[in-house]
Amino acid sequence: MNRAWRNFAIGVVLALIIISLTPYLWMFLASVKTRVDALAATPQWFFAPTLEHYRTVFVQKHYLPLVGNSIMVASGTTLLSLLVGTPAAYVFARHQFAGKEDLFFFFLTTRMAPAVSVVVPMFLLFGKLGLLDSLYAVILAHSSFNLSLVVWMMRSFFEEIPPEVDEAAQMDGNTRAGTFVRILLPMAAPGIAAATVLCFILSWNELLYAMILTAFESRTLTVGIPGLVTPHGTLWGQVAAVAIAATLPIVFFAFLVQKHLVRGLTFTAVKR
Amino acid sequence: MIAGWRQIFFDKGVGPLFLGPSLIMLIALLVGPFLCMVAVSFTDLSFAIPDRGGNFVGLDNYRKLIRNDPIFWQSFRTTLKFVAAAVSVEFLLGFGLALVLFHFIKRNRVLLTLILLPMMLAPVAVGLMWKLLLQGEFGMLTYYARQLGVLGAQTAPLSSYSLVLPAIILIDVWEWTPFVALVLLAGLLSLPREPYEAAIIDGAGPIRVFFDVTLPLLRPIIALVVLLRSIDAFKEFDKVFILTGGGPGLATELLAIYTWRINFRHWDFGYGSVVAFMVYLMVLILCSLFYKAMGRRQEGKAR
Repeated sequence: MNRAWRNFAIGVVLALIIISLTPYLWMFLASVKTRVDALAATPQWFFAPTLEHYRTVFVQKHYLPLVGNSIMVASGTTLLSLLVGTPAAYVFARHQFAGKEDLFFFFLTTRMAPAVSVVVPMFLLFGKLGLLDSLYAVILAHSSFNLSLVVWMMRSFFEEIPPEVDEAAQMDGNTRAGTFVRILLPMAAPGIAAATVLCFILSWNELLYAMILTAFESRTLTVGIPGLVTPHGTLWGQVAAVAIAATLPIVFFAFLVQKHLVRGLTFTAVKR
Repeated sequence: MIAGWRQIFFDKGVGPLFLGPSLIMLIALLVGPFLCMVAVSFTDLSFAIPDRGGNFVGLDNYRKLIRNDPIFWQSFRTTLKFVAAAVSVEFLLGFGLALVLFHFIKRNRVLLTLILLPMMLAPVAVGLMWKLLLQGEFGMLTYYARQLGVLGAQTAPLSSYSLVLPAIILIDVWEWTPFVALVLLAGLLSLPREPYEAAIIDGAGPIRVFFDVTLPLLRPIIALVVLLRSIDAFKEFDKVFILTGGGPGLATELLAIYTWRINFRHWDFGYGSVVAFMVYLMVLILCSLFYKAMGRRQEGKAR
């Protein structure tokens, strides 16, 4: 009886996984289909594959620099958020001061702020500062939500390290800052790795800030995708090729940090 | 002497030294723009009309929003419908999935990562993917739905006024149900064993145990995940932008799409700032509910 239920449950979960993966598989197939196969009235599951769309988009239409822009933006915001956010997380984990939890909640609010609202004044302010159409603008904008992610995640990682470690290090003559750099940072390395990957993914996937703060030269890969959807007809093969190129690295990264995904994305103390 | 200086800087000074940069950054990137948005909301700033360079107009924009902008309020209602439908379906399905996973599978890393895939994809790509599936002429899903008689032969889900919102809700459910399930699963895995043992000794059946033990213990996490999803669904932009752009007509004009249109299609920043400010306030209200749920959770832990 129990075994039958278990098999049934596994069947349900497998069916759900197939349902959730089929749309992605279908898009992948569309990216390697000829135009005729892609636009056929009956769905074509078997066909002679082609790489022409990847070639067209990345070689002839020059989408390759967009990949470069996306990498620059995602790396830039990740680096900035980690450099600024990790020390702050340490203070939240180890220091006691009045209003600490309120301040911490203020950091959380920033993750909740609606991008569509923030981007309006940001567009006006960055315009005044001459920062529009530059990767810096997007790096800064993305840091506004990644910073709170880093502070939130790293605080919980630092709190997992027992305070006795700090005490021992300070007995040995380390300052607090020295303890942080020499002892705690290496111990929190897995957390830093998880935060890095999550920051990178969130920035890489982001559309709204990137779309509004960049122009033709500085646009990222996600911004390039809507550009292929035109009122005169969408080049589905090419769209699918770009979308696959934009998502495949992320799928790979997601596997790397699976363990920490829920923690990072929910901002909860749920650790498992 | 040098040691004393070193101590002041690297020991006592660590708090402000470490916290300062992040505070400066958040103030520059969020508080500053927020104040700018409020300031612009009292002006007539527009990039489309020449003599509207940002003159002070008092509360005119606010008056317009309350009395004279049916589209804003229609978007508001559409957004509420979208959030309510998507989040409740995600919660019910997600809870069911979490219970199945909890009782039969627990943690299987490969499986869990596969389940999470929809959420990790760029929302733009998700939108495109479904646009391709739901195309009127050659969409794979449209084709099979027509074969099964679920869809009329001429109906295209994304251009039908009555089907488009359910379609978008369905896509959101596809994207986020696994996430809800995983958070609830994490919650289930962290529950203490003792209340269950006590309930079984008292002779409670599985259904009683679920309603009298599991649900109350899980309530903080349920509140958390429902609010978190509500906040994110309330801000939904990317998928709908790609799938329908708010159409057909105004059928899927969510608040985020409307805010974008006023500011970056009509270039009306004065009025657009009021709209953006209102969306901000609504999210803040949802956030304060979120904090309450979180606070209760922490109190619960302390006890």
